[in-house]
Parts: sequence; C-alpha cells; structure tokens
Amino acid sequence: MTYRLTDEHLELRAMVRELAEERIAPRAAGIDESAEFPWDLKELLAQQDLLGTAFGEAYGGTDLDQLSQVILVEEIARADATTSLIPIVQKLGALPILLAGNDEQKTRYFPRLASGEWLAAFALTEAAAGSDVASNRMRATRDGDDYVLNGSKRFITHGSIANLITAFALTDPEAGGRKGMSAFIVETDTPGFAAPRVEHKMGIRGSPTAELTFDDVRVPAANRLGDEGEGFKIAMATLDRSRLAIAAQAVGISQGAVDAALSYAADRQQFGQRVSDFQGIQFMLADMASQTEAARQLTYAAAAAIEADAPDLPYWTSSAKLVAGDTAMRVTTDAVQVLGGYGYITEYPVERMMRDAKITQLYEGTQQIQRLIVARQLLARAGAGARR
Amino acid sequence: MKIVVCIKQVPATTAEKRYTDDLRLDRASAEAIINPLDEYAIEQALRLLDAGTVDEVGYLSMGPEQAGEALRRALAMGGESATLVTDPALAGADEWATAAVLAAALDKLAPDVALMGMASDDARGSLVPGAVAARRNLPLLSYGAELALADGQARIRRLSPTGFDWIAAPLPVVASVTDQVGEPRYASLKGIMAAKRKPLDTWSLADVGLSAEDLRSGALTRVTDARPPEAKPPTERIENVSADEAAAKIADWLAARKLV
Amino acid sequence: MSNDIFFLAEFADGAPQRSALELAAGATELAAASGGNVVALAYGPGAGDGAAGLGAHGVARAIVLRDDAAPAITAGPAAVEAVRAASPLAVLAPATPNGRDLAAALVGLADLPAFGPVRAVRVVDGIVETEQATLQGSVVTTSRPVDGAPQPSVVLVLANTFTPTEAGSGTAEVSRAEASDHPFTLATIVESHPADAAVVNLEEATVIVAGGRGIGSAEGFGQLDELAAALGGAVGASRAAADAGWVPYQLQIGQTGKVVKPALYIGLGISGAIQHRVGMQTAEHVIAVNKDPDAPIGEFADLFVVGDLFQIVPKLTAEIRRRKG
Repeated sequence: MTYRLTDEHLELRAMVRELAEERIAPRAAGIDESAEFPWDLKELLAQQDLLGTAFGEAYGGTDLDQLSQVILVEEIARADATTSLIPIVQKLGALPILLAGNDEQKTRYFPRLASGEWLAAFALTEAAAGSDVASNRMRATRDGDDYVLNGSKRFITHGSIANLITAFALTDPEAGGRKGMSAFIVETDTPGFAAPRVEHKMGIRGSPTAELTFDDVRVPAANRLGDEGEGFKIAMATLDRSRLAIAAQAVGISQGAVDAALSYAADRQQFGQRVSDFQGIQFMLADMASQTEAARQLTYAAAAAIEADAPDLPYWTSSAKLVAGDTAMRVTTDAVQVLGGYGYITEYPVERMMRDAKITQLYEGTQQIQRLIVARQLLARAGAGARR
Repeated sequence: MKIVVCIKQVPATTAEKRYTDDLRLDRASAEAIINPLDEYAIEQALRLLDAGTVDEVGYLSMGPEQAGEALRRALAMGGESATLVTDPALAGADEWATAAVLAAALDKLAPDVALMGMASDDARGSLVPGAVAARRNLPLLSYGAELALADGQARIRRLSPTGFDWIAAPLPVVASVTDQVGEPRYASLKGIMAAKRKPLDTWSLADVGLSAEDLRSGALTRVTDARPPEAKPPTERIENVSADEAAAKIADWLAARKLV
Repeated sequence: MSNDIFFLAEFADGAPQRSALELAAGATELAAASGGNVVALAYGPGAGDGAAGLGAHGVARAIVLRDDAAPAITAGPAAVEAVRAASPLAVLAPATPNGRDLAAALVGLADLPAFGPVRAVRVVDGIVETEQATLQGSVVTTSRPVDGAPQPSVVLVLANTFTPTEAGSGTAEVSRAEASDHPFTLATIVESHPADAAVVNLEEATVIVAGGRGIGSAEGFGQLDELAAALGGAVGASRAAADAGWVPYQLQIGQTGKVVKPALYIGLGISGAIQHRVGMQTAEHVIAVNKDPDAPIGEFADLFVVGDLFQIVPKLTAEIRRRKG
C-alpha cells in the first residue's frame, strides 16, 4: 500500500496541531483528574468542522480522505487521548450507516452528526460476550412497523452521552449471532433506553464508557440498517475500518510521549549534565521515536488500504492497530522511565499517557483478536497461493 | 461598509522546534505566520462582519510572494478577498516605505476602515498605522481595545492613564487595535477549504502608482552594525530551601546590591 | 537645517510627564554634541502654562502644539509644521502610544527617517546614531540615516534610557504652533472613564513587583502591594493577570503593555514569556520566584528562586521591614 502526503494533509495537520497544543493539551490533566467529558472541547471541534470529516459535503460534512482522518485523530491524541475519542467515536457510531444505510437514513441523521449537534455511539459488545460477538444475546422482535429491542450492552464508549446509537440485536435467535443479528439506529431519547452505569477506568477517563439497557425500546423498521441478518457483516465491516482510528490514536499517544520525554531529557540536569547527554537515555529516545515512526507509517498505509477498498484491508488495519497499540504501550512506559520519579507523578503527562495507551491494546478487538485476524488473512493468502 | 485589514507575514518566533517531526518537512506548519498582533485586527474586523456592522472584509499585505500564505491564512479565518503588493524593489523596506506602499494600495482599495495590529512582532516602532493615515490624509484612531462603527463615525476604546476613553473620528479612518479586542478565532476546516477559492490579487509597485525612485531604495535608515548583546552573568538559583531561608537569601542578595 | 534637538514633551495637569523630563535630559546630551539648542514640542493639558518651566531642565525654547485634553495625535499636524520650519537634527519621541502616534505623523507627513524604539541615541560627527535591541534581545543593531536622508531623524526612545537632571533655574522661551487642519485633528474624546482609584505610572517606578498567572486572584495581589510598599516600589503584572481582571491593564508590562526599566524588578508567578520579557528585559536587577523550576524567566533572571511565592513573599516582606527597621 502506498500513500502520499499532499499539501492539504500538511495543512490539516498544522491546523489541528495548533488547536491541540493551544486548546486541548492544557485541558488534558484536568480531564483525566475530573473524569468528566470535555463538552467544551466537543464544541470546539464541532465549531472547527472537525466532527464532520467522515460525512459528505451534501450533509454538511467535509468528506476528507482516510489519511486526513488519521492525521486528525493522531494530532488530537498527541495532546489528549480522551479528546481524540470524540471524532473517533463520532465516526465509529456512524460507520454502520455509512456502510449500510440508505439515502433516507443518511439524510435524516448525517447533518446532525456532521455538525456535531449530535453525538453517535456504537453498541455491539455485551457483558457475556466481549470479543466473541457471535454469542450476543440482545433481541429485536418485529412488531408491526417497529422492532422491539430488549437486552443490554456493556463497555459502550460515549453510550451515556450519545444522541444516536447504532445497536446490534438478534432478529433471528435460532440462526445465532453470525446469521441472525441485525443493525439498528436507536435515538437515545426513545422510552426504555437507559445508561444506568458508567465505568471507572484506568485511562481515557474523560470518555464515558457506559452500560446500556434496552427495555422494550421501540425502533421503527425504517431504522434497520441493511437487511435482517446482515448485522454481523455490518459490524465486522465497521470494525475492520474503525480500528484504523485506534491505530491513529495510539500513534498520537506515542508521539506525545516521545515529545514529553525529549523535552524533559533536554532540559533536566543530573550529575552535572543534561539527562539527554547519557547514552542510555539516547538509545531509549531513539527506540521510542523510530518505533513510533514505524507505527505511523503502517497506520498511514492502512489508511490507503481503506481508501482503495483493498480486499485485504482487515490485514492492514489489524496489523496497524496491533503494532501501534503495542508501540504506544512500550513507548509511554519508556517515557515514564526517562522521566524517572517525575514520570510517575501526575505533574507530568507521561503517566497519564501510559494509562491511556493501555486501552489501545484492548478496545475494538484486543491485540489477541488482531493477531487472529492477521493470521487468518495470511493463511487465506497462503491458501489461495497453494491452490494456484 | 468595508474594512481592509493590513497584515504582515513574519517568521514564527514561537515556533520552538520542541517536537521532532517525521522527515517530511512541515512547510505548511509555521514558517510563514501572520504577525500575531495583526490577528487581533482580523478578529476585530470579523466580529464586525459577524455582527452585520460591515459587509465586506478584505486583506492587504506587502511582502515577498510567500506573504500570499499569510493572506490565505487570513482568508481561512473569514473575509472575502486579499491583495498582495510584491515587488523586488520592496526588499528591505523600512516603516516609511512600507507606509508609502500600503497607503497607495489603500487608496485603490478605498475601505471605510483600514485596520492594523498595534505593532509588528519584530521590534519596529508601531509607526505604520499613523504614517499611512498621514499619507492618506485621514484621521488616525490607534491602540483601540475595541473598534465600533456607527453613524458615519469610527470609535475606539483606548486606555487612558487611569481608565479608558472612547475616541471618535469621521469615516473613513485608519485604525489600529491591541490584543484586548479578544482572542483571534481559529480557522475552521471549511474556512481553510473555502480560502483556496477566494480571490487573491497580486499587485506590483507600478500597479499602485509608485516607482522604486519614489521609495529611495526602500529605506531612509540603514543598519551599520549588528552584534550580540552584552553577556550577562549567569542566573543564581535558590532551590530546595525553606521559605524562611529563601526570604533571608533574597534579602541578603538585595542588601549586597544596596537595593534595600 | 539646524543642529537643534527637538523632543516631544507630554504634559498632564500643567506638569511635564516623566518621559518629557527624561527626553529633556537626552536632548541636552545630544545638543551638546551637535552644537544646537534644545527645543521642546509641548502638548497635553496645561502644556501652555507649564512649558516655560522646562527651562529648568535645559530647554531653550518650547513650542506649544496644543494644550487641551484632545487625543495626542491631534497635535501631529502642528508638530509637523514646527519641525518643517526649523529642520532640526533629530526629534526624540517617547516610545509610548502617544509618542508613537506623533512620531508616525512626522514620518508620514514629512517623509522622515524613523528609528527605534532605541535604548541609546547619540550624535557622532554630526550624525544621529541609535542602538536598538531586536524583539528577542538576541541582536543589538546600530543604525543611522542613509546618506542624503531628510532631516530630522525621528527617534523613539524607551523609558529610562535617560535620567532626568535635577531641576535648575531658567525659563524656556515659549511660542505657540500654528493651527493646522489635517484630518488628524478630527479625532475627539467622546467619553472618558477614569478609574475610581489612582493608578500608578509604572514607567516612573524604580522598583517593580510584578505578578502573573501564578498569583491566582485579585486578592493574591494584596501581598504584592505589601512587598512593593516595603521596597518603596510599584506593582505591575503580566498580560495573563490583566486579562484575568486581577489588575487594571495600566499595570500590564510587556509587548502590548508598558515597557519598564526599573532598578529592581521582582517577578512573582510569572513564567517569562517573550511577550512579557520585552517589557522588562532592560531592568537592572531581576529576581524571579516561581514554583516551576523550568520557567523561562529562570533563564534570564539574575536571581531565580524556585518555591512557593505565597509562603516566601510574606516572609520576605517581613524580613525587609525588619532590616529597614
């Protein structure tokens, strides 16, 4: 996969970087401490048209390419991982509609999502079936022109603040999750919908992760995405693409940690010299920077794979998320090490980055799931080769 | 009602390269920025545009061709059109020559208010707004913390020795504003995209009716020497001591220099 | 053409402002080297009554441009007429908003070379030479007019570049400038809102205790007042503190506030951003107290104290009071 950074990409990066450095970075520690969703920054991003990058201009969006969307997330995450989830989840929640929605559904919902007036969320995971999506239990029962949804979801990012949720439920329990699941657009002010609990988390603390309950929630049949039974397919197609944003987030977190470690090492004096004069530190910084760069290049290549709608795009996006997530964990851990005792206290940002980095190894498919996907793609290629 | 904001492109003084970048040089990022104090003039003009007080905001800059980048950045914040006066004869222009060129260009653009920042970022004397007003035979309203327009008059709120005054003059005027007008807005993504399609004219010196001779090689002053400042003794640091000890040490330091 | 040195003398309530006395001293120095007279261009309320008194500061002649409370720029056309008539060697102007407005009127209306703001100006072999530090203070340049440039050179002079001389005896010969009708005279003050409490003129203070974001509140400035009182100085602030409304903007030091040059500057809870630094970098002695060991002010202060200013400042105030008895 190849890509080229255009002037437009560089311009977008400069724009987002300025915003992130001046307005988002100064809020990061406070957001982490209070564990409150940064509504002000959501407004800021909406004002700057940065929540509509995935939507067509006809809907009030800016219709940016995949690489631009990666750069957007990366630059925000470099300042604050929580805030980077605002555009990430806006797109994640909308992806099922982007992939399987009809014109009427897009016209009805996209303008409000593109402007940032509404927030979206994606509700697939259930308590008893984490990565094992096929074992989901939530039900959707047809009743006249409606479906009636019953069940619960867990670990839903922005589930408690979203206005619109794309939710997955079994329309044919007999057929099971793989064949019998369907996707729905649920407006969260529908009676019977509730978000009774928000998790206390280790990182990305300003981003509410909610448990959702559906108690006889009536959804018009017009809000079904695709045909009955296409839910699993839609969910997998969504995740194949959305995990690119997690890779971008991980790259941004890594770069933020590299920057913090570099600036500390260049300023701080120990034993009469700068910390950065020690070769042991230099080697760590070199590893951190080069690994971050490798993760970035793979992530950009994965963006190109989605842009090209490559048949093996799961290989690219899963590889990118796998590498970038592990890199973020390693680089942030090393950044804490470079700062020594200061790295462990909240006065410096790297301990937060380390806590934030961990989630990139977990959500939208754990690293183990990514390996399964990559391996499956590899074996399929090998099998195809063998058959030839 | 029309405002033309005069902006200057300056090198980014605050662009500390704290961040290592990937190896593609970030040309778009910061080499050519709008003089930070001019951004307040842009913000003031755009606020009047948002409020419907003025119906057109344009920009004017004098500088090398790259100054077009600064004008695009301004257009991304808002406004309709921009003009760049660029000419080889303008290299090294001082404040007198800059004012002469801007005044000539503004005569052609004929705005109700020619608006400027209170100073440029490179330690000049803040003389351009007044010198432009002088040449254009217009009133000057300088150092405004706010600009208001009504009833054929422009008004600025300006700090006085103890409080503030409102100073008025009949339109058209040349005005300058301070950083108290309010924080400049960020260009939105749509603004950046739209700016590419907005008109940006390039004028030569001849286009504004001036010749190189008029400008006497661009300057009435010349630098005869440049050197680093006198070295100063290194900073003494007091660290990791109690407040009592710190206070005593500061007092000793002051006493040693006969400052108490 | 003459070898006279003109300077802008701002008045308030009939008294010359400190900038006028500083520039009188500077003009006297320059005139001694050029062999000319010192001439004041007086403006501001009461300038007509007070101008003769400038004779006590070495001024031979004073031309009153205006003496009402109108905006300073309205005196510009008269200044241009006076300067055209005499064609002096130099005009010194204070690097204040009013001084810059009038200097700009001279430069724009009479096509004159402009310098500054400068930290030194002298006459060498009959030629005006100035010294200027660039914004970052990383380079000091010396400048002169180009050969054949029109006279006078207009020089913006930073506060405290010259020290006022003790008042002697003598009276300046006073004349009034011709009225002029350039549109500069059309600016009028339509509303005036003085503050309830008097605000000190920071440019006149020899000791300044300045507070920044780290002070945290308007109340926090109370202990700065006390320290300043103990030291016989005035309180200043960074832009952050003025923007927050803790102090009036008149106390702001920096690129968009006052440029000060006290004998002692104490910065408390001020990080030392370049915009603030350009307003105080010529202070003779700089002390900074900040809890952040990496604050940029620590790189150019003479004495940098890392610690909690809320604990240190009251103790310092008490200690200074004790030592002063």
